[in-house]
Amino acid sequence: MTQRFTQSRIPTKPVYGPDDLAGWDAAEQLGEPGAFPFTRGVRAHPQDGGGWIQRELSGEGDAVRSNAQFKYLLSKGQTGLDIIGDTPTMGLLDPDHPFAEHAVGTQGVSICCLDDYRELYRDLPLDRITLSHSLSPAFAVAGLYCVARERGFDPRGLRGSVVQAPFYCEDTGYSVHMPFLLRQRMAVDSIAFCCEAMPKFHAFLEDTYYISDGGLDSVEEMALGFVEIRGIARALLARGVAIDSFAPRIAILLNCRMDFFEEIAKIRATRRLFARMMRDEFGARDPRSLAVNIAAHTSGLSLTAQQPANNIIRGATQALALALAGAQAIEVSTFDEAFRIPSSEAHLVGLRTQQLVQLESGVTRVADPLAGSYFVESLTDEMERRIWEMVQHIEQLGEPVRLCETGWFRELFRNAMERHAQELADGTLQKIGVNAHKLSEEEDVLLRDVAEEKIEPCRERIDWLRSFRASRDAARVKTSLHALHTTAKDPDANLMPAIVAATEQGATMGEMAGVLRLAYGVPADPFGMLEDPI
Amino acid sequence: MRPIRVLIAILGLDQHEVGAIAVARALRDAGMEVIYLGRFNLPAHIAQAALEEGVDVIGLSCHSWEYLHMLDPLFEALRAVRQDVPVVVGGSVVTPNDARAIAERGVAAAFGPTAESSEIVETIRRLARER
Repeated sequence: MTQRFTQSRIPTKPVYGPDDLAGWDAAEQLGEPGAFPFTRGVRAHPQDGGGWIQRELSGEGDAVRSNAQFKYLLSKGQTGLDIIGDTPTMGLLDPDHPFAEHAVGTQGVSICCLDDYRELYRDLPLDRITLSHSLSPAFAVAGLYCVARERGFDPRGLRGSVVQAPFYCEDTGYSVHMPFLLRQRMAVDSIAFCCEAMPKFHAFLEDTYYISDGGLDSVEEMALGFVEIRGIARALLARGVAIDSFAPRIAILLNCRMDFFEEIAKIRATRRLFARMMRDEFGARDPRSLAVNIAAHTSGLSLTAQQPANNIIRGATQALALALAGAQAIEVSTFDEAFRIPSSEAHLVGLRTQQLVQLESGVTRVADPLAGSYFVESLTDEMERRIWEMVQHIEQLGEPVRLCETGWFRELFRNAMERHAQELADGTLQKIGVNAHKLSEEEDVLLRDVAEEKIEPCRERIDWLRSFRASRDAARVKTSLHALHTTAKDPDANLMPAIVAATEQGATMGEMAGVLRLAYGVPADPFGMLEDPI
Repeated sequence: MRPIRVLIAILGLDQHEVGAIAVARALRDAGMEVIYLGRFNLPAHIAQAALEEGVDVIGLSCHSWEYLHMLDPLFEALRAVRQDVPVVVGGSVVTPNDARAIAERGVAAAFGPTAESSEIVETIRRLARER
C-alpha cells in the first residue's frame, strides 16, 4: 500500500479509529468552545450566534474608486472591509516615485496622505463595520485615527485590524526596504499606540497568509507566524507594555489551501498552541489574551489561470473548511486571481460563496462539529507537535534579526517556492487544469474574458500629488518631519504621535518612510532616485 | 561549449517571485548559468546587467501588467548599450492576446501560465544558439 501524505507531508493512514485516540484526554486537549485551550473555537456559541466577518479583499485605483468598491461590496452583504494597497503603497513609495509610474492603483488602492484616507472612508459607518487593513500598520493606523476623529467617531470604539509582518517582508512578499529593527519598531509602536488609543482594534494581526502563499506548507506557515508573534510580544514586554494589555489584540490572518482537513487541523492546533503559550510561557491572565481570533484568506497560489471557473469551487471548499474550523473572518480569493485584482463579478461570487456556506449548508448550527473525529483530532495533535517543534528549532538557531541578516528565512522561502514548482511539475501536487484534466487553449473559454481586462495605472495621481505637495504649508510639513526624525532616533519613544502629527500636516507616507530610514542610517529612497525629504 | 547565460528579472514593483525562482531553477537544472536579478528592476538596471554579465537571453517574469509599459524603454536601453539580446516574457498574466501583441513589439517569445518549463528551457536554448 502506498503511503499517503497531507500537503505538509504528514503521513496519513487509510482509516483512523478509537486506538488512534487511546489515552487522549478531551478535557485537556479540547475543553469547551470558548474556553481554554480554545481548540474548539474562541466563542462559546456556534457560528450563527454571530457568524464570521464576511469580506472580500479590496482596493483599486485611487481612494475614490476604492470607496465605491467598498460600498458596492457592503451593499451585497459584506460585513467588514479589508483594504490592500497597490505595490507602491505596500512598498512605502509615493505614487510619484519613478518606480511607481506603471503600478499606481493596479494591484490595490493608491494611498499616500491624509486626503486619500478621507476619500477612502468617505460616508462609511466607521462605528458599525470592522475595518481591516493589509497596509503598512503605522501609516494605516495614523490615517484611520485622524479621519475617525475628524468625522466625530471615537477611535476607542473602532474595530478592525491591521497586518503586522515585520520579520519576513523583505524576503518574500511586500518589501518595505527598511532595516529589521525599524520594521520591528514600527510594529511595536503601532500596537502599543492602539492599546491606548484604539483598544478594540486588533492592531497585532499576525499575517501568515502572505508569507506562505509563495509555497510554504501549513507547518512552516504557522511556525514562522509563532516566531514572529513571540518576537514582537517580547519586544512589547521589553517596552513595558503589559501582556494582558496587548495579547487580547493579537489575531492571526492565515492561509487556506486545498488540503481540507489539514487546514482545519492547523487552525484548531494554532488556537490551542497560542492559548497554552500565552498562559504558561507569557503568563497572561486575561482570558481574552488566551483566545486568538482567526481570520483567513483563501490561497491565491492554489488557484489557476487554466479553467478559472474551477477557482470558484476551490474557494467554496476552502470557505467550508474555514467555517468548520471556526474562523472569525473569511476572505475568498476570486476566480480571476491569476490574471488581475478582482473584477466586481468575481468579488460578488467570492462573497456569495461565504454567504452560501453560512446560510445553506447548515454547518454553522453546531460549534466545532468535527471535534472527536479520530482523524481530525489525531491530525490536530500532530500539527501542533510539528509547528511547535519548528518554532523551537528556529528559536534555537538564533534571534530573528540574525536569521534575516544571514538569509536563513530567505532560503526557507526560496526552497518552498522551488518545492512547490517541483510538486506541480511532477504531479505530487495534483492541480486540475495544470497537471490533470487539462483543456486546450481553444476549449478553455469559460470566464476567460476577464483575463483580457487590464486596469490602467492611475497616472492622474502623479499630477494630483504634485499639486497636493505644492498646496501644503511646506514649513509645517518640514517641522513635523524633523520632529519625526528626532523621535525615531530615540529608541524608547513611540513613533505614532509624531506620525499622526506629520500626517495631519499633510506629510506623505513616502516622505515619512524616508525620514524613518534616515534615522536608521539607510538612504531615504531605497532606489536612490529621490532627494531626501529633510 | 560554454554554458548558456540567462538573466532572470522582475520589472517594476511586482512582488511575486514564485515563477522567476521556478524558471531559474529549471534553467540551472538544464545546465545553464542564471544571473538572477530578482525584484525591483527598471529597464536601465537590466540593460546594465546584460552589458556587464554578457548574457545570451533575458527572461522577464511577470505577474502584473507593469511589464507592458516597460518593454519599449527596455529595448531602447538595450540598444543604448549595444546589447542585442533576445527578451522572453513569462507569467500567468500573459494572455494569448498579450503574447501576440508583444511579439510584434520585439519580444522573442512569450509564455503564459500553461507553458511547461521544458518548453521554456528549449526556447531559451534555441534563442541562445541562434545568436
